[in-house]
Amino acid sequence: MAKTPKLTGSEKEAMLQAGFGSLVLGGASGITTSPVWSKVAEAQAEANDRILVIVELSGGNDGLNTVVPYADDAYYNARPHLGIRDNKLLKLDDYFGFQRTMPGFERLYKDGMMGIVHGVGYDQPSFSHFSSMAFWQTGAPNGGEVYGWLGRLADAVDPLGHTSNFLVNIDDHQSLAVRAMNHVPLVFDNPNNFTLSAFHEEKQLVKAISAPAPGRSNATQDFLFDVAASAASSEQLVRDAWNSYQTPVNYGLARFGLDRVAALIAADFPTKVYYVPYRNNAFDTHVYQGDLHERLWAYTSDHITAFVRDMERLGRGDDVVVMVFSEFGRRVAENTSLGTDHGTAGPAFVIGKPVAGGQYGGIPSLTDLDDGNLKFTTDYRRIYSTLISGWMGHEHPSMILKDEFKPLPIFGRQLAA
Amino acid sequence: MQAEILAPIAPAQWSYDLAAHLLERAGFGGTPAEIRRLAAMTPEQAVSQLVDYERIGDNNLPDFEESGFWDPSLKNFPLSRPAATELGERSGEAMGIKVKPKGDRPLQPITNRFFYWLRATVLETHRLAGWWVDRMVRTGRPLEEKMTLFWHGHFATSEEKLRDYRKMIVQLDMLRRGATGNFADLLLAVAKDPAMLIFLDAGQNVKGAPNENFGREVMELFTMGVGNYTERDIREAARAFTGWGNDDLSFVVDAGKHDDGVKQFLGRTGKFDGDDIIGIILEQPQTANYIAAKLYRFFVREDMTEAFRARLGDLLRQNNYEIAPFLRTLFLSEDFYSEPSRGTHIKSPTELIVSTYRKLGVRELPGVPDLYTVSKTLGQVLLYPPTVAGWGEGKAWITPGLLFERANFAREVLFPNMIGFEDPNFDPGGEIRRVNRNILAGMEITAATLEDGASPSMVAGIREDFNTRYASLMGYSEALRRMKPVPRTAAQFSLADMLLDAGARTTTEAVDRMLAQFLLVPITAEARDALVAFLDEQLGTSDLAAARSYLEQPLRVAAHLIMSAPQYQLA
Repeated sequence: MAKTPKLTGSEKEAMLQAGFGSLVLGGASGITTSPVWSKVAEAQAEANDRILVIVELSGGNDGLNTVVPYADDAYYNARPHLGIRDNKLLKLDDYFGFQRTMPGFERLYKDGMMGIVHGVGYDQPSFSHFSSMAFWQTGAPNGGEVYGWLGRLADAVDPLGHTSNFLVNIDDHQSLAVRAMNHVPLVFDNPNNFTLSAFHEEKQLVKAISAPAPGRSNATQDFLFDVAASAASSEQLVRDAWNSYQTPVNYGLARFGLDRVAALIAADFPTKVYYVPYRNNAFDTHVYQGDLHERLWAYTSDHITAFVRDMERLGRGDDVVVMVFSEFGRRVAENTSLGTDHGTAGPAFVIGKPVAGGQYGGIPSLTDLDDGNLKFTTDYRRIYSTLISGWMGHEHPSMILKDEFKPLPIFGRQLAA
Repeated sequence: MQAEILAPIAPAQWSYDLAAHLLERAGFGGTPAEIRRLAAMTPEQAVSQLVDYERIGDNNLPDFEESGFWDPSLKNFPLSRPAATELGERSGEAMGIKVKPKGDRPLQPITNRFFYWLRATVLETHRLAGWWVDRMVRTGRPLEEKMTLFWHGHFATSEEKLRDYRKMIVQLDMLRRGATGNFADLLLAVAKDPAMLIFLDAGQNVKGAPNENFGREVMELFTMGVGNYTERDIREAARAFTGWGNDDLSFVVDAGKHDDGVKQFLGRTGKFDGDDIIGIILEQPQTANYIAAKLYRFFVREDMTEAFRARLGDLLRQNNYEIAPFLRTLFLSEDFYSEPSRGTHIKSPTELIVSTYRKLGVRELPGVPDLYTVSKTLGQVLLYPPTVAGWGEGKAWITPGLLFERANFAREVLFPNMIGFEDPNFDPGGEIRRVNRNILAGMEITAATLEDGASPSMVAGIREDFNTRYASLMGYSEALRRMKPVPRTAAQFSLADMLLDAGARTTTEAVDRMLAQFLLVPITAEARDALVAFLDEQLGTSDLAAARSYLEQPLRVAAHLIMSAPQYQLA
């Protein structure tokens, strides 16, 4: 079933006045009495329809075998076995090509809907999955920060936390990236398991026990009851959104979460930021990585491309941007197990109709290396800065990132318009 | 009792409820009997019982029993697998293992050894965290463990980077010894602690090429907070700490790497070394303010006025950075028992876990549910803080999904799933399991470790020096063979006994006592009545004695419902 296109505020109002209240309220486009859909949230959502989706590829994606520099002999010299021959590539230009399993990405690039950012990394890189991922998630390399960069973005855009479910994280546990001071991220994996486990005989009582007691209260208690109320309603809304969501688009073999994001967007969730990891360190390809890496990218490319198509179908293509990253790249040279070991810089992708497609960031040299590793050319926080200012419309990314990072002209079209 | 008044409460105001609040905050809560004991004392005696914990014996607390994973050949463990195999190729030996003179995969034993230690130290760190939480559950000195937990979050160090549980043991002992002593001593000990030195890259901090990591964090996170120093102060501090490092578990200064030149730091000039820098930092008024406020937020509440923050700083300074008298004043103060301070603290996952057991009268950490799994789900794995800044406390612990998960944890405590339980220590993941199956079935190593569906032709003609997937299997297996077991027992307790002993006779009394025992903030009258009605229906009577023989299960369901209330997250 295709979703009805989203109604504007004035359209909704007109329909309500005309007596179509149940249709509008029941149509998942704004149940104003529920805490998840407060009036303020509605107003904010109306003010700016833009949505940011972050896809995290955990494990350290081999960037050189993703955006393959087939015109550089140094690539084949460093990777006599793993280097992908140019006749097996989907060529983007006379220098780079994608894995052959990435026709979706090729199409997005050629349609001008993909910005490839080369050489993304940071100074004094960590080779630890955990540390490097924490650096990406907090936007604070080699530093300490208890909130995530997206959590701080939410706190900066909406300091009072009015937009309920500003942050949604598709995972079985909360990512540091969405941890915020004033926002409560909605975190779930399987919409049908997003619930409190209860025995049959106690199910009836679970709701009663979560009601706030009258009388003296304080900010912390109010907060907890708000979350509890929002948990109860979110649980239902997420399940309803998921169960009523049908799409003709094929999300591929590894549905790592964007299908659930699409369901929430189709149900007009007020969410501004979705965080979706490709989990289990999948991209950590130390051994015999050829087939494996090719397959991982088939899944990833298929899934992301499907999502972009689905947004188009829902009439939200102009509102959604996807950024794809991994915590580090791999070493330039292959190892003796036909795999690659932890490295430094790698490509990131910014995808969507609003994007000025093309290539950004300096191409790192494959011969001028730092102990066998690429020297990064683009600090990853420049991408964050780009997304914060160029896409989310927050004018002071340095307040969130604690320093100035020059945005990339990926949203040049908007800025010019 | 007024907020932001540090004067002590009057003895006449002391009550069961205040004693419960004290035990909840200065410890991990307790049973009604334990609260009654504190309530029977004067406020001074009760606070002293918690703060002056050296008087209370700790012989009942077991020492951590190491599995025996380590031997001296693992000293200077290579930083990465490539570093390990390269060391082997270069020198013929690594981690006490020699390269095979000929034959297949000459570097395989070295690679196995590398993965053995990687796995062993993680397993042992999980055991160590389990030992620590068990200690929190058992101890008669709860403030000692609570302060150790505070310092662990403050001086956050993760085994993830150290890859050596032994250094975590050393650090944890150091934090516990200095838990309520003098902050100046503790800070100096932390600056010389091997785990911290490695965690903040002391080894890379050398004369001529200072690494600023420690210099920055010591001011930003450990003492003053941002905005009270310049980037230049950081660089100068880093210079003063150059040459500080560790030889395995000992602190050493390498004079050759130390920059003994003149430094300008926070307005002072001199040939400072690390001790001098720490001395100057401790002289800054902001340091006392910062530490006092952080302690206050951990034990009392999030918000305070600027004026009160300054008074807390004064209090710590007047006590010359001694933590115990500072806490004594805090725990006796009107402010601590005032309305805004009570029932307003969101339990951290560790507090939730420990207090749940302690309130049920459980005196050892059960093996089911698995501590690591619960901690990971709830968002606080001890000895693995997410960054050097530790954990964001308070509201950041809660999401809608985590409220569910906290209630699900309570269910696993009350109804341990023994049938469905699988020990995560013995779950190496699908890939290692698959390789294990293939090897046991007699497959050749390369074929056994290929991806499912990969064509063997792609590796034809490749001669491996080592195979890392096989090494993962061998290392994991060896570590598990040596690991001391984690007992997988369920919590032993009886709600029925506890309530009957306390004099409850009816279902109404049972519900009221459980509510008082588990919640500091009331639920609605309707919810309470619904719980009574639920017990009446489940028991077929409102007389507990009549239902004695089948009382436990329905009581546990009622307890689960109570622990599912949002109020249960409040301390």
